[in-house]
Amino acid sequence: MIKIDNLTKSFTSKTGKGFKKETVTVNAVDGVSFECKPGRIFSLLGPNGAGKTTTLRMIAGIINPSSGTAVVDGIDISEGNEEVKKRIGFLTGSTGLYERLNPDETLDFFGKLYKLPTAAYNERKEYLFEKLGVNEFRKKRVGQMSTGMKQKVSIARTLIHNPEVLIFDEPTSGLDVITADSIIDLIRESKDNNKTVIFSSHIMSEVDLLCDDLAIIDKGSIIYNDSFEHFKRDMKADNLTQEFINRVKEA
Amino acid sequence: MNELYIIIKKELTELLRDKKTIINSIVLPTLLVPILIFGMIKVTEMINKSEQEKSIEIGLVNAPEDFTAIVASDTLNKITTYEDSLDFKALVVDETAQTVVVFPKDWKTQMDSLRTANVQIHRNGTKDNVNGRVSKMLAIYAERLKAKRMGRLQISTEKLTPFREEYKEASEEKELIGKRIGGFIPYLFILTMWGGCLLAAIDLVTGEKERKTIETTLSLPISKFKVLLGKAIVASILGFVPALLNLVGLILGLKFIDGIPAMFKTAIDGMLNFQSITMIMLLLIPFAIFLAGFIIALVAGASSFKEAQSKAAPIIMVIIIPLVLAMMPGIEFTWATVFIPVLNIGLGVKEIMAGTIDMGLYSAMLISLIAFALGAIYFSYKKFSDENAILK
Repeated sequence: MIKIDNLTKSFTSKTGKGFKKETVTVNAVDGVSFECKPGRIFSLLGPNGAGKTTTLRMIAGIINPSSGTAVVDGIDISEGNEEVKKRIGFLTGSTGLYERLNPDETLDFFGKLYKLPTAAYNERKEYLFEKLGVNEFRKKRVGQMSTGMKQKVSIARTLIHNPEVLIFDEPTSGLDVITADSIIDLIRESKDNNKTVIFSSHIMSEVDLLCDDLAIIDKGSIIYNDSFEHFKRDMKADNLTQEFINRVKEA
Repeated sequence: MNELYIIIKKELTELLRDKKTIINSIVLPTLLVPILIFGMIKVTEMINKSEQEKSIEIGLVNAPEDFTAIVASDTLNKITTYEDSLDFKALVVDETAQTVVVFPKDWKTQMDSLRTANVQIHRNGTKDNVNGRVSKMLAIYAERLKAKRMGRLQISTEKLTPFREEYKEASEEKELIGKRIGGFIPYLFILTMWGGCLLAAIDLVTGEKERKTIETTLSLPISKFKVLLGKAIVASILGFVPALLNLVGLILGLKFIDGIPAMFKTAIDGMLNFQSITMIMLLLIPFAIFLAGFIIALVAGASSFKEAQSKAAPIIMVIIIPLVLAMMPGIEFTWATVFIPVLNIGLGVKEIMAGTIDMGLYSAMLISLIAFALGAIYFSYKKFSDENAILK
């Protein structure tokens, strides 16, 4: 379960030349509130620069909010983001893999830091490697892998500690349909296992396939937040992509 | 503690799988000193040999026979006799003659009347070999003439020699050599250490940004401080190890390279004993942590390897200037210099090598270096926690 209430993130930067400096404060995320329930997939959509990544980073405890609260699996992020991190599997376009390690070493590293019991860890690793087809290249260094191989390993490391909350930002970006399908399958499986899932993508067919609840964010604010069923019911455009574009433009 | 160990192990594994790190932090530091020693010995030998075998063109004007005989006694001297009226400066400039010695026309008269004559030497001040050899011949000739005059005036040499200097060396050879070359050793250590720390720190912080793994690292269920501390420890190991290997290289070089003067070799062997090596290494540990923390703080905001290098590179001057000062005579290891980082190591190592270190000063320096190391770690943690900088 994730409960976000009035979450705001401001960034301050200095501009100007020479000795004349001006401090500019920008709200990348401005008073965002939403709720993601266990056993449901919540889609957070928005154009580039809308504040999606900043919101997800705050939920994952990577950056601290300027104001507002976020409760992840019963823990307020302001009370200790290490506890929150243990309960989250976080995968975005910016969470790359360590290029000089192989998949086995990568998962060993994460498994140890999540303090997983050895037997449970090994079982989980073998299951994920089998499911994602990582076994063929488990001893190959990440730096020598293709984009698809890397993404499979990234998914495995995101799920290794079987987290209660999963955040996937563009998990299938740049992947072939077969790899994308295996990842979609794992996301569905997480939902079936009663996990809370935030899924963000620009591929509307995937949103259509997975989404239960939907929020659209633009210029740091939520402009739509309801169930996906209601969104589709109220659609004025012919397809999801056009409806999304229209909603953003209208906002 | 266990989490820190996991971070250190992973960072070290990653770094040591990079060829650049292996070459810069292990291969080069080990081979650098032996190559330098070997190169210096061979180059010096070569220069000396070629200088000794070089023939020189000496021009003589109005030269007395006995001086000409001295010049001619060395078969490498080629003599040309010139007329008094030539432009000798031009001759030296166009290298027709490398030096021209002009005696006055009335040389014999002046000598007979026991006067002081003027001998002009036209020369190029940069030709040390030529000038040295000519000066030596003139000195021999002057001594001969002096002895002749004293004989003629019936004055004994003793009468014109009121005293002879006799030096009794109070310092040991180790102290003398230690103070002279001791400044060079930290110069080598610290520059290698700087190189190792810089490369590692950039790879561990800016490299993570370039490879898009910094967010992965920050999503780990451990504090940013532990992540930073792990990186700082690894960067300092990658700075400390090359310095240690420098020392190993120095010891091996001295043991196995021929041509090092025996006196010098014995003195250095005496200096590099277990106690002095331990004392030097103890200083280098906090200093490596200080450098690592300082560099991480500098490069935390850089988003590319190039930007990180341009931010850190000018700091090398802050390292080199105190090291050069430490090698200068007159700057001593005292309470006034003991708290100045880099300079204190330069001066301290000199004293350790010479065996004259004051333990009070040494302890103060060690404590100050630990304090600087802690300060640098805190500073780097502040920078590493800056979301604007680290996620740029």
